[in-house]
Amino acid sequence: MRQFAQVFNIIAAFFVLIAGISLVAAHHSTTMFDYSKTMTITGTVVELRWVNPHVTLAVNGSLNEGDAATNWLMEMTSPGNLVRAGGWRRDAVKAGDKVEVVFFPLRDAEKKGGALKKLTVLTTGEVFTANIREQEKPGLE
Amino acid sequence: MKICSPTILKFVFVFISAAASVASQTSAQAPKKTPSVINPPPTAQDWADLAKLPDWSGVWNPKISDQDAQVKTNPPPWNEVAAKKIEAMFAEEKAGRPRLIFSNCLPEAHPSWMLVTHNAMEILFTPGRVTMLGESDGNRIRRIYTDGRGHPEVSDPTFHGHSVGHWEGETLVVDTVDILPQTPLAISEAAGVPNNGEMRTIERIYLADKDTLHVDLEIFAPKILTKPWKTTRIFFRQRARKFDIVEGVCVQGDLAERVNAEGDHVFVPVEKSAWGHTISVPEK
Repeated sequence: MRQFAQVFNIIAAFFVLIAGISLVAAHHSTTMFDYSKTMTITGTVVELRWVNPHVTLAVNGSLNEGDAATNWLMEMTSPGNLVRAGGWRRDAVKAGDKVEVVFFPLRDAEKKGGALKKLTVLTTGEVFTANIREQEKPGLE
Repeated sequence: MKICSPTILKFVFVFISAAASVASQTSAQAPKKTPSVINPPPTAQDWADLAKLPDWSGVWNPKISDQDAQVKTNPPPWNEVAAKKIEAMFAEEKAGRPRLIFSNCLPEAHPSWMLVTHNAMEILFTPGRVTMLGESDGNRIRRIYTDGRGHPEVSDPTFHGHSVGHWEGETLVVDTVDILPQTPLAISEAAGVPNNGEMRTIERIYLADKDTLHVDLEIFAPKILTKPWKTTRIFFRQRARKFDIVEGVCVQGDLAERVNAEGDHVFVPVEKSAWGHTISVPEK
């Protein structure tokens, strides 16, 4: 019985956690990113999370050659919009790929992350962009 | 304890028999009521008639640059209280602290879906119904009844309200009521206020050209607007199959896909900031 109660508490705590987190979820404005600046990192892909409403890309890299590599987290629009606007695929990049990422940094400079502007896969030269409004350009069909 | 004597039982039996007889006669003599069939089975002709409607097939994308422009060029006639709230939201957004209008992964709701969605949709015609299917939870589904029914007598508010429509030539005219008062009238993902009740919209939806769909909206929101607000929202179609609409579950964005120690595929929470973006993702 006691064991059951413990398991129940763990499950309950998990759902409370999920509920709490979802309060700041959903899609959102992107003005927490500073669009007046761009930065560039080179590094290795840790994970591409191909999920709605916002895809994320984790890269272990650095701003300057020779700096210690750290994890950076880039946020993008939805999978559908990335496909339409930037030619992305679920397997556009995979863990271990060497990449260069141009991004608009978070205004909070303490945080390692930003809004992805352009991704270049260094081994293949493939380029992916993430401007949601690109898909309005005529002749893109 | 003895409850009923045989005499009383006999009396009750006779009474029930008589009542049943009267009821049966009344029923036979009563005029027939209109059958209360709300969704009659469609006929072959009903399906054939759909071919006469304009071609709205394919994937429709919102023209986001026009949404952006209308924030400045065509603001809603906010009342004084709402205008102050919107002004404060613009200031917060400009400062990099955007308000989360669509928190909790709830639907953008009607009419905000039409006004601010960044996701694609498709539109289906079936007898007596037009259905808008969105790509994600924010623009999930609208059911527009075109079978001639009216709005319900008793209001039962929902995120997308109760929509009835009819065709005027190649234009679908949609009247929507019974929208939850908590749902925002939003002009961006960081500016909008709850409609606070009694909101109604009238839409005229039509092809402006071969691959452009216009939604002319007239929005009545007496609790937050000084007069009805008119706006046109634009959706464009890409015929090439670059993308089929797939399921987009909003809360999935708060979770990372991992395999736990027992070998089960599970979701675990990612860390989010106060502004809703992902700060960190747990290691694999």
